[in-house]
Amino acid sequence: MFSDATRRARVATRPLIGRASRATFRHNGGRGGRTAARLCALALAALASVSSPALAKPHRIVSLNQCADELILRLADRDAIASVTWLSQDPREANMAAAAAGLPANDGLAEQALAYKPDLVLVGAFTDPATVALLRRVGAPVVELDVPETLDGVRRQIRAVAAAVGEPARGEALVAELDRRLAAVEALVDASRPPLRAIVLRPGGFTVGPGSLIDEIMRRAGMINLAARLDVGAYPQLPLETLVMLDADVAIVDDEGFAAPALAEQALAHPVLAALSRRITFAPLPSRLWTCPGPALADAARVLAEAGEATRRARAEK
Amino acid sequence: MTASPRRAEAGDRPLLAALAGLTLVAFLASLAVGYVRLDLVAALDDAIHGRDSLAALALVELRLPRAALGAAVGFSLGLAGAATQGLLRNPLADPGVVGVSGGAAFGAVVAFYSGLAAALPLALPLGGVAGAAVAAIALYALSGRGAGTMTLILAGVTINSFAGALTALALNLSPNPYAATEIMFWLMGSLADRSLPHLYLAGPLTLVGWALMLSAAPALDALSLGEDTAQSLGFDLRRLRARLIAGSALAVGAAVAVSGAIGFVGLVVPHLLRPLVGHRPGRLLLMSGFGGAIALLVADVAARLIPVHPELKLGVITALIGAPFLFGLIDRMRREG
Repeated sequence: MFSDATRRARVATRPLIGRASRATFRHNGGRGGRTAARLCALALAALASVSSPALAKPHRIVSLNQCADELILRLADRDAIASVTWLSQDPREANMAAAAAGLPANDGLAEQALAYKPDLVLVGAFTDPATVALLRRVGAPVVELDVPETLDGVRRQIRAVAAAVGEPARGEALVAELDRRLAAVEALVDASRPPLRAIVLRPGGFTVGPGSLIDEIMRRAGMINLAARLDVGAYPQLPLETLVMLDADVAIVDDEGFAAPALAEQALAHPVLAALSRRITFAPLPSRLWTCPGPALADAARVLAEAGEATRRARAEK
Repeated sequence: MTASPRRAEAGDRPLLAALAGLTLVAFLASLAVGYVRLDLVAALDDAIHGRDSLAALALVELRLPRAALGAAVGFSLGLAGAATQGLLRNPLADPGVVGVSGGAAFGAVVAFYSGLAAALPLALPLGGVAGAAVAAIALYALSGRGAGTMTLILAGVTINSFAGALTALALNLSPNPYAATEIMFWLMGSLADRSLPHLYLAGPLTLVGWALMLSAAPALDALSLGEDTAQSLGFDLRRLRARLIAGSALAVGAAVAVSGAIGFVGLVVPHLLRPLVGHRPGRLLLMSGFGGAIALLVADVAARLIPVHPELKLGVITALIGAPFLFGLIDRMRREG
């Protein structure tokens, strides 16, 4: 009924075309404060619920956002989840696809959410404002998740969602798991050596600018993001010749690997990149690992750290 | 009758040499301009001696295919514009206006997004050629021989809109979410990050298309005197039409398959050059080819120099220059008509 791209746009956490990080960064100023206040209130309510069991846990939770899906699948009881987005049931796209299988799927539409008579609806920063407004108008309890730009923001979001679903202890455990796995990656990286010079290459020639979560994970893995020194602007698309002349140590290829072809992915198959692979390491990284806040971020850091170690070994042998 | 074209062709030589020279200059400018500073001499030296430097890679794998495709696509569009205008004896008949480019884009989109081109790379340009041929044949069937400008343009608008809608439909049906965002490339065209394989795929079909169209020069000159005169001079009009439709479908189809549809080049260039060749459509062919190559190379250099990111699509630049030109042309036709 709808094209794949339309359905995806409604439930994905970041837009397909690289603008995500900077765009959210900018409008965080306006929207972030409001969301933070709301999440604070929720956290307080959750603290209160520890002492007063009268504050009932939601038991018909609907998520209209891919990353909210992952968090409720990790934090809430399965019985309490009424619906997740269709994107979360695709194992190439989502880390929790196995857990999402069998749950009713939605396309991010308000009417679908309301059909479950939800007592909690989770939406993302990029959910259609008309959808959110409609949900609020009919009185559905809505919690809106931002796209975190730092690991601190990730921890805050995990705790806030845990509070919203009435499982603060599971939230703390999830944050602890993330930190434990990040620490294990950090042990792999020898901080005394100069960091590897790296650049992210996404379909269509998009890269990831400074001030993003991905940027922070690269630092944790012992890499510096070369995009920081380029004037990539709000629309971080790199012409291939800029990429070639950057002379990076590592190119992180953030490829979703769709089965059907598109020009955007053909750019990642350009012969110049094959020629370049004789000089620099291409580290493939499944996009799903660092799309959403959660312990998978540590897996992304581990993939990068291991690619970095392989690069250093190859350099040493030369 | 046979002596004068030869004299005229001899007289064309300085003009042709000048256009060819300008094409070379524009080609070199396209090699020299980019997003990073490249020492072209050192890069060329590295490339020739097989040294694996980054500059040599950027020159050979990125700048060279971009410049060569710019020249080839521009040549195809200019030549096909002049040939179509000569065949239909109508100054508004350009592959972009009459829907041949749009048909080519649809054909290439089907070949590419269905996955056919991934299995068989030649399917990409062949898809473009097939789409262009269907559009050209439909145009001829809808407007017929000696049709008025109104009929021709109406038929062209219909084919163009229909092909554009089918292209959007095909992209929407693709299960790859990036596909829907790529309609801009197919409707407006770009040479950003093209590769040598694109050149190898489009090149041979393009050359055959050029040869077919250029070989029709004497017949086009005769046709400008009227169909009866051309026939009495021994030209088979049926074969002429087949040759020009096949030639423009091959050249335009292959061009659009690797660069997207780029409008106005085939319309504007022949008009600018027509007064210089004494309004002889046959003589105009080769010159329009060079003129188109210059126009597209310059537009592509401009695309990289204009500080807008991501870079402007080529069709945007050619339309910004070409549309006012088309308004002027329509105004003149209205006053004369």
